[in-house]
Amino acid sequence: MNILNKPELLDRLASSYALGTLRGGARRRFEAMAREQAPVRAAALIWQSRLSSINELQPQVQPDAVVWTRIHNLVQGEKASTAQAAVRSRAAVPEPAGLASWLRSLALWRTATAVGAMATVAAVTVSVGQRQDFGGEIARLQNQLQAAPQIAYVAVLADDQAAASMLVTFDPKAKKLTLQRVGAYQEAGDRSLQLWALPPAGGPKSLGVLSRDKLLRLTAGERDVREVPTLAISLEPKGGVPSETGPTGPVLFKGALIQKML
Amino acid sequence: MFLSSSPRKTDVNGYRSDSNLIPPSGTSFVARHARMFHHAADTHTESNDALLIALLERVAMQDDAALKVLYRQCAPKLYGLALRVVTHRDWAEDVLQEAFLSIWRAAPDYRASLSPPMAWMGLIVRSRGLDMLRRRTADRSHVTQELDETLTDTLAGEVPTPMDTAQASEQAWAPHQCLGRLDNKQREVVSLAYVRDLSHGELAQQLSLPLGTVKTWIRRGLEQLRVCMAHFA
Repeated sequence: MNILNKPELLDRLASSYALGTLRGGARRRFEAMAREQAPVRAAALIWQSRLSSINELQPQVQPDAVVWTRIHNLVQGEKASTAQAAVRSRAAVPEPAGLASWLRSLALWRTATAVGAMATVAAVTVSVGQRQDFGGEIARLQNQLQAAPQIAYVAVLADDQAAASMLVTFDPKAKKLTLQRVGAYQEAGDRSLQLWALPPAGGPKSLGVLSRDKLLRLTAGERDVREVPTLAISLEPKGGVPSETGPTGPVLFKGALIQKML
Repeated sequence: MFLSSSPRKTDVNGYRSDSNLIPPSGTSFVARHARMFHHAADTHTESNDALLIALLERVAMQDDAALKVLYRQCAPKLYGLALRVVTHRDWAEDVLQEAFLSIWRAAPDYRASLSPPMAWMGLIVRSRGLDMLRRRTADRSHVTQELDETLTDTLAGEVPTPMDTAQASEQAWAPHQCLGRLDNKQREVVSLAYVRDLSHGELAQQLSLPLGTVKTWIRRGLEQLRVCMAHFA
């Protein structure tokens, strides 16, 4: 019997196979046919993806907050051991001078400035208190993604506690950088946040000063953004500082910029 | 999330009365509704899928801040699924934890899966959940026979199996429509067979139903699903 001549039977077998109720000898025979005939295999895959939608249709239930804490701790543990292994394996290979000096100066800004540290702590505290708002933030971010479908670059800027504080997307067609505040950090009235591109060579380049809104747009050329591995946000006097000066205040948030591949 | 802002909400609440009165006749019924839906809600799911894909790409680069955003976005949906598989809150929490560690480690393989992000994560959660069930049933054989009350109600035909399209990917829409047209009992046994990977015999035992009844419900449910899905193919 050639099952390919009986499309309905094939579909029936494939659906029972994917559901898991095709068992025993019948299951083994179906598996053998799938190995030999690509259309049988395709039918099984189609039914597997159709039925996997059942997973996605379950009602939402909020898990206890302790689950994230456990995940976070385990991930930090893994990161720390991977980082240690990496340090050991490339101890002899120095980083390119430009990048190394930038990372050092970033570390310096962050650790040397008490104001910056306190601002970061405040940002974390407030963002914990406002977790309820997060759903709304995400909804707004989605609307933003919708309005800007050509997003080619994405960055999640975080403070040194790895709390996400700013989502950045870049649309090269419209030359628009869009920043979405997702933490509740708010700079003091006499201060401004300034966004910097940290290119692998040369000094930081100012991409603009942030207004106090939740959703901000800045204009930038793709040249400013392409091949920039990292974006950072520093706390500056109101109105920001000239690009040539470089950041004068502490770096509050930073994160890697990636080109979206899909 | 799009549930609150799109006409899909009407579909969720409306399909039961539709399904009993008007069986889908020919392709025009489905095609009409498919067009209506796509017009209204495409961009919502696509942007949600795009957001999750972007986050998974960040997670693949070991960005733990992105993992946190991904967790906040997806944990309620995935925890709901874990609860459905293992039924106990503390087990479901362990499943969610293991699943997110798997996502953290396997994110670089996500693109090769060619799946929508929520489908990929859902499979990981279900698979960790089934592992947990196997471990627990090896310990104590009676646990999977515990039934929650909603399940009993559903099988009595009173209450439909809850389905929630929030956070679901674009590809889940057609199966959602077709599952929605099934009889409550058929939908429940089909969902349960899939989510908990149960055979006819195991379903009959867990639901305290005659084997023949379970087989009939599954067969009819799958057949209806098959015919319905063919309209969307």
